[in-house]
Amino acid sequence: MTTTLAPARPEAAAARATFAALAAREMRRFVLNPLFLAAAGLTAYLLWSGQRSTVTEIDSVDAIAATLFGGLGMMAAFWLTRSMRASEPVVGVTPTTLPARTAALCAVAIVPFGCGCLALLWFVHLYPVSEPVYGAFSPPARIAVLVGQIVVPALGGPLLGVALGRWVRFPGAALVLFLLLSGWINLVTWLTLVHPDSAPVAVLRLFAPFALFTLHSDAGVTAWRGSPWFFLGWQLALCAIAVLVALLRGAEGRTRSRIIRALGIALAAAAIMLVLAGTGGFTHAVTT
Amino acid sequence: MMTGPVLRAGAWPAVVGVTGVAVVVGGCAAAFPAAATMLLPICFALLAAAAAFTLDEPASLIVDVTPTTPARRTTIRAIALLAPLAAGALVMLAAAMRGLVLPWAAAGLALAGNVLLGFAAACVARTRTGEPGAAAGTAVVLALMTPALVPQVARWVRTFPAPRAGGPSPDTVWWTVLAVCVVAIAISVGGRRLPRWMSRVP
Repeated sequence: MTTTLAPARPEAAAARATFAALAAREMRRFVLNPLFLAAAGLTAYLLWSGQRSTVTEIDSVDAIAATLFGGLGMMAAFWLTRSMRASEPVVGVTPTTLPARTAALCAVAIVPFGCGCLALLWFVHLYPVSEPVYGAFSPPARIAVLVGQIVVPALGGPLLGVALGRWVRFPGAALVLFLLLSGWINLVTWLTLVHPDSAPVAVLRLFAPFALFTLHSDAGVTAWRGSPWFFLGWQLALCAIAVLVALLRGAEGRTRSRIIRALGIALAAAAIMLVLAGTGGFTHAVTT
Repeated sequence: MMTGPVLRAGAWPAVVGVTGVAVVVGGCAAAFPAAATMLLPICFALLAAAAAFTLDEPASLIVDVTPTTPARRTTIRAIALLAPLAAGALVMLAAAMRGLVLPWAAAGLALAGNVLLGFAAACVARTRTGEPGAAAGTAVVLALMTPALVPQVARWVRTFPAPRAGGPSPDTVWWTVLAVCVVAIAISVGGRRLPRWMSRVP
């Protein structure tokens, strides 16, 4: 047994070292991307300037961080992934496999995730969870809403960009997807305004990587149907699906079958979480 | 005689594909008139992105050294702008037939401005790269979506003539954009290079 395992150890250590070096390199490229720098700068400015104005509901403010870190982060990660296509004939013959390089690219999502965590802390400092702007949600649910609207989109956007970059050849795919998702979120939010108590409409609203949970009107702040906790689970399942789909490109043999099996589990988990998110929480819209 | 081959070499899958997505979004706007003021600006931004792909030339290393001038090539490729413009007009017609009430002249101006902005960005970027579509399209889409992303900008600039929306008229913005785009296109097809500080198009 010792003779079998002993040669594997240096290989595993070398693979880890290669992965760390690749991940550090990709992270540096991501951080220096103009889109990510713009996202970080704009989020900081908008949160800072938000201190000076009156906020009547949180959704008008926290969507900014999701759009910037998630949306622009997706475009930046897509560019980063595609930028190596031209050198693929050279890079492809190196001992590092495509899934290993994809995993290193996925690791860059740690940066916007960290920025999202910082944005969340700043946001909670500016608008404490005890304030009425969060609507009828309980304090833990309010935290879940914020994590789902600020932190997880910042993690998922770049992961989606990597998956898109690995599978789609069209260079404008990220910007088209960004606009499509914006259109879809606007459309289902409008549907929710028309049918606030409908369960299918709630499922449709949550069938997106980002969703609004409250609305301000003259009557007060309305908390819509849906469970923020299960929505968080749905978003994390989407992140896992994005990583697995990205890793599937170029995977061979046992690795490929393992990824496909994990993808099946993640898809099932996502479907369950979406149904629970749409049917859980309040059974109707609650205005406070 | 050159028109056919130059047009054939265009990035038609990209132009038609993005225009098709824009028609789907615009179709949703026509189907749900109450959501149209949110969806039509996204449809127009997609048409601007489609316009940015009209100048993509994968064989630019060869094409750029042929005797055909950039002005001639750009003029021929500008015919492809008819696709996003026609799609936008179709969407507006469908929305009007579904009973959507909008200042249609201002909406038409916004459509023309969006498409020309995408094309002008591609013209400027084309002086440095053979396939400017992705970079120019991303820059234009981000510029067009800025009022939606940054509330402070929305107080000063409106890019879509939504009824009952406060703030300045988008017509002023679009007339200015049209004038700037015409100048930018004229300079870029005239063979001028980018400003010295802009060493390359990202």
